[in-house]
Amino acid sequence: MALEQLSDVVQRCQALSNDSYATEDHDVFTIAGRSCIEEGNSAQVLSIVLDEKNQDMVRCMGWNLLPPLIPVLLKKEDKNLPQCLAIFNHLMQTCRPKELLIGLLEQLEQDDPDTIAESLHLLLSPLQKVLLCLGSRKPSSLGMTLSSVLDQVAKLPLPLTKEQEEDDVFSLCRCCADLIDFVRPFVNEARQNLLTTKTHGKNIDTMTTKQNEMEDELRTELLKFCMKTLSHPLLEVQLRDPDTLPVSPLRMFATDILETLRAIGESLPSLVYQPLLRRKQVPGFLEEEVRYPKESLASLAHLVFVHHLAADTFPSVFSPVFSLRCTMEHILLLLSRTEDCRIQKGLELYEKSLVRVEDSSLPADLLEIKTFLTVPQNLVKVMTMCPRHDLRTRGLKVFQLSIDKFNTEAKYRFFQYMLKTSRHSGVEGYIIKNIKNQIDIALQPGNSNTWFEGVHLLPLLRKVLSLPDGPETDLLQYLDRIMESLNLLRYLVIRDKVTENQTGIWTELYKIEDAFMKPLRVGINMSRAHYERELHTTMEAKKKKAKEEESVLSVSVGDEKLPNMTSESQIQALHSALHTFDMIESVLVRIEELVQVKDDP
Amino acid sequence: MAAEPTREWSDEQLKSDDLPKKDLIKFIQDNAAHSFLNEHKLLGNIKNVAKTAKKEQLVIAYNQLFQSKRFKGTDPVEEVTEEVKAVKLEEKPKEVKTEVVDEGPPKFTKSVLKKGDKTNFPKKGDTVSCWYTGTLEDGTVFDTNIPTAARKKKQAKPLSFKVGMGRVIRGWDEGLLTMSKGETARLEIEPEWAYGKKGLPDSKIPPNAKLIFEVELVAVD
Repeated sequence: MALEQLSDVVQRCQALSNDSYATEDHDVFTIAGRSCIEEGNSAQVLSIVLDEKNQDMVRCMGWNLLPPLIPVLLKKEDKNLPQCLAIFNHLMQTCRPKELLIGLLEQLEQDDPDTIAESLHLLLSPLQKVLLCLGSRKPSSLGMTLSSVLDQVAKLPLPLTKEQEEDDVFSLCRCCADLIDFVRPFVNEARQNLLTTKTHGKNIDTMTTKQNEMEDELRTELLKFCMKTLSHPLLEVQLRDPDTLPVSPLRMFATDILETLRAIGESLPSLVYQPLLRRKQVPGFLEEEVRYPKESLASLAHLVFVHHLAADTFPSVFSPVFSLRCTMEHILLLLSRTEDCRIQKGLELYEKSLVRVEDSSLPADLLEIKTFLTVPQNLVKVMTMCPRHDLRTRGLKVFQLSIDKFNTEAKYRFFQYMLKTSRHSGVEGYIIKNIKNQIDIALQPGNSNTWFEGVHLLPLLRKVLSLPDGPETDLLQYLDRIMESLNLLRYLVIRDKVTENQTGIWTELYKIEDAFMKPLRVGINMSRAHYERELHTTMEAKKKKAKEEESVLSVSVGDEKLPNMTSESQIQALHSALHTFDMIESVLVRIEELVQVKDDP
Repeated sequence: MAAEPTREWSDEQLKSDDLPKKDLIKFIQDNAAHSFLNEHKLLGNIKNVAKTAKKEQLVIAYNQLFQSKRFKGTDPVEEVTEEVKAVKLEEKPKEVKTEVVDEGPPKFTKSVLKKGDKTNFPKKGDTVSCWYTGTLEDGTVFDTNIPTAARKKKQAKPLSFKVGMGRVIRGWDEGLLTMSKGETARLEIEPEWAYGKKGLPDSKIPPNAKLIFEVELVAVD
């Protein structure tokens, strides 16, 4: 039936010229033609399409036959494959590029990953041919195509391990390679345009303004493409080093993207150092933030500095401190996110940037730059809240590394800042330990400084040797901080001789006793009394096998309510708390002893 | 010292509503010593002063001015104050000053290979463009932006950056400031003004490396 309809309309149209085809003709051709192909009558359709007499019609309407053709081509085992392929090729040669483009792009839209990858693999080459025929519409159409293609690529699952990259089950790697082949002629054209510009200058005589605009537009579309790929997939995947994976499609893809950026005239140092370079507003299509999305630049910085891609073209003249200042912006962006891959890349980039800087060299005025304060804050979040243990550990390592790079004054100011803002007992304890180390270094002969002994130390010590809430401080919550403070005090009292008093601790001691040691003593006693009573009550209740008290809170995970703590667990926890108080007290007592010894020689 | 200014208005005119506050303020500001203006709260933009000062106060001040003769130029510190007022506050540079500690003699040497124009010397903050080749003491080339036959010749561009701002290694910052446009020089830079004890890990520059650069200063903007 469809075949008859098709033959009818074809015959009818043979007599007409192509601008007098009625809408009905179009519709019938489309519907009938598609049905024929779907029903397996592609041989007949092929002969119709190849017929000399029908070429005007094919040119006009043929592109509507694409939708049923593509699924056949994708299936590969279909017996109609040869005919459909022949139809397809003929259409590609005959129909108008503009319409073919629309038809092909429509067919890119797929839902399941396998079909997506296959249709990309199939269609990128025809799309390329069509675009190359487009003339002045080429750049914007190229942009549209690249946008659709990348949207499809974004639906593909990403390889997460080296083995997955090698297996490439979802063909992401193959798609990336296909993409590079696809853009190659356009990149070459852009590269050529730049060279002619360079040798002849932007000469209005030899080139029209329209041509100039077109070339700019082409570069802009390619830039958009590169920036998008830097975000996805490149920021999401883990690139493997040549030692780990000698042939890595993803690494090659990344290298090709960087090469493309160079071909369109973008300087890698300018891109990577962009946060600090006031670039002139580029006149033209896009605002700077849209033109150079921050996340893409951060991804680029990671590729350049951590994976050393394009290393042989990146100048080795920039100062490590300047480099660090620029990359701090990228690091801030990456560490502000919650996705593991971004946090990991942020940490890697931070580490690489710090390692190039000499120890104790960064000056305190760097702390006036916002990122030097906000990055550590984000790092604290990673160290304390990131679900992945390896990232927390690495975060701590990078945190210490960053401290080591500051000079003495900067360390001092940084410690002050962190004590004020971190609001986390563990972090505060860690900082206090660092302070102790710095004091130890300062007390060694030849290392004297005014920050960790002398005039500046005491204000810092006062902040450290204090209880956040006086005698009512929750000793368990602030345990890390309190223990480190006590350790520091004990250290000072042992290390600094009364007769020398280099740190000033001995003259300050009476104040510390009032502000710290006495309230702590009171706190310990109060806490101990409280917990001992709790323990007693719990044990009594357990003995009497009294009904478990309704708890004030309940905790649910998923939809399940967790069981209440058993009496045994409660008793264990209470014992543990009491043990902690003993521990705190033992250090406190030791300090009191040492002080007394010095008092009564 | 300027001649003593004459009274512009009679007492009657002063009290009259026809005399706008702004005129009175302008006169006093133009003629009174800075300390006088300060005491009478007449410093600042005329509009602002007009909002805060009453006519009576202005008349009193006007009369006091002629009584005390504290005109411009009678203040001992007047001159300096005037100069200070005239200084425009430049926008604070966003660059953080890198600590320039006087470490003694410069840690680089320069030999001129080709003379420049000896007129166009870059200043701090200027953008310079150069071709360069960097080698280690043993001759290993670790970096260059000069196109060789192997590289895509026409794509190469000279390196551009703002000089004297701590963006590049110190040897470069200091060295380039001594060069003039068109000059080609050989800079031998001690590690302290290059990459120091760390070198550039993962690159060809080892720790404590003395670097030798042949630099051609192509442009100064």
